[in-house]
Amino acid sequence: MIESQVRALFTAIASSEPDASQVDTQLAHRRGRTRLRWRRAGIAGAPLVAAVAVAAVALAVGAAAPPSGPVSSGPSAPRQFSPLTPYLSFGWLPAGISPVQGGMSKHLVWLTAARKLDAPYDWELSVYTAGTCHLSGSTAKELKCTAPEDNTIRLTGRAPSLRGHRAFWAGTWDTPSLAWQYARNGWAEMALPFYPNNSAKQAAARRDAVKIASQIRYGAATPPLLFPIQLTHLPSRWRVSSVTYVPDAGVLRASSYALGAGPPNLGADGGLVYETGLPYFNVNPPSFYGNPPCYRGERGSKIINGYQVVVTNVIKEQLCAPRARGLIVVISEFGTQPAISVNSLFEHHLRLLGPNPANWTSKPIG
Amino acid sequence: MSGSRDAEYTEYVAARLSSLRRLAAVLCDDWQRADDLVQAALVKLYVHWGRVRAASHTDAYARAVLVHEFIHERRSTWVKRVRLSGGVTEAPAAAVDHDAVLDVRAAVAALPARQRATLVLRFYCDLNVDQVAEVLGCSPGTVKSQTARALGSVRRALGPALADGPGSQPTARVGHHTGEGAPGHD
Repeated sequence: MIESQVRALFTAIASSEPDASQVDTQLAHRRGRTRLRWRRAGIAGAPLVAAVAVAAVALAVGAAAPPSGPVSSGPSAPRQFSPLTPYLSFGWLPAGISPVQGGMSKHLVWLTAARKLDAPYDWELSVYTAGTCHLSGSTAKELKCTAPEDNTIRLTGRAPSLRGHRAFWAGTWDTPSLAWQYARNGWAEMALPFYPNNSAKQAAARRDAVKIASQIRYGAATPPLLFPIQLTHLPSRWRVSSVTYVPDAGVLRASSYALGAGPPNLGADGGLVYETGLPYFNVNPPSFYGNPPCYRGERGSKIINGYQVVVTNVIKEQLCAPRARGLIVVISEFGTQPAISVNSLFEHHLRLLGPNPANWTSKPIG
Repeated sequence: MSGSRDAEYTEYVAARLSSLRRLAAVLCDDWQRADDLVQAALVKLYVHWGRVRAASHTDAYARAVLVHEFIHERRSTWVKRVRLSGGVTEAPAAAVDHDAVLDVRAAVAALPARQRATLVLRFYCDLNVDQVAEVLGCSPGTVKSQTARALGSVRRALGPALADGPGSQPTARVGHHTGEGAPGHD
């Protein structure tokens, strides 16, 4: 009898499905792709033991900077990427392909090019700091990257040299890639689109990969990242520790970013590294999302500074403001004792700069 | 990332999103949380898509991801909030016997995550003991004992009047359900 009651209860719950799903499949797709990228880099899910400084990657937007010279005559690869200074951009991409997203960590910067964000057949470039990767094995069939965790890139054959440096075809059967030495003591890898059962397209992708890789600009002058919100009156040790960003209206807009004050202790997810009790932010225009990220229910809904916000606590404390001066602002925190609650952050520590890039700031913490 | 990987994943999610949401809702009895659960599970599904598509039963793999996400989530934070604010562990008063469904719901909500997941896999997904054991990564004996404990807890929470009495079939009183597919009266 109890079994039948339980069965009936479950059936009833399942039958009461609301019409509108709040699941953002595009966001899940995007986060999955980013997490996979970071897993490939040996980051995801790993407790990080070192403070993470932020690196900046420049997406190629606006006027292109002149190509840099051959890496053989340039400086050594950076030992650490700079927090908010653009470092990297594409010099050439196939027709119809453009940069769509970038991100960074202390030892790795990455950027993705595709027809549009989340489109298949994309190019994913990862560039490592000096000393992070080295050829391994007696026959040098592996590229081992050691930071922040061990990650092995399998090399499958020699590729044409790039600016006089060694290059290799790499990856697995359905994630082919090109790995090369981009500077003294520095390695890069770029995942290619994969065309099953179309050898002609795959061969063209390999040719394009060599051309893309040979024209990547390292350390070229590019626009700074711009933030649509500014944080104020925060503890002095807090800083932006990792960023994911997108090209938007001719600028590079920080799309999500985490704050740090010490060793990150939650690992990485979605391109960001997290600390317990410190916030991370997603700030985007409504058009960025496939579905509205805020729940429409009244539970937890309130008005702060004249803006509706929805606060939830599922896995993490999260405040979502669906109409914050033309932006959707989401503040999230892991941990039961955040230094500053999401409510207080929104109410007392946040300046909304609106949707116009002319009002955005390159100083995320004022 | 491979184009085929993305295409397959997108196609699968589009086809199965609704059923995944329903399973998530049954697991956590809250559609908002269900959507968060599915959102998190979809990310993991993408990351492990290589294994997913290599699995003999894609749906079974996706279901396992969702269930494990639920169990992990319940361990972390929100279960505490539910118990603090929901009052779901209180014993039912005799005066509420007209609303048995709420008592069943509360009793099931009060179960530990693994026990609830076990009941969901047994009585919503209709998996046998061995299949449930495979999903949960435990022995069939553990599934049996978890099931027995869970049903015992529900029975005790309901009390004798509600647990076995006539007319306790709750289906028609829950949500929008009309009794379709529910077991009949004994």
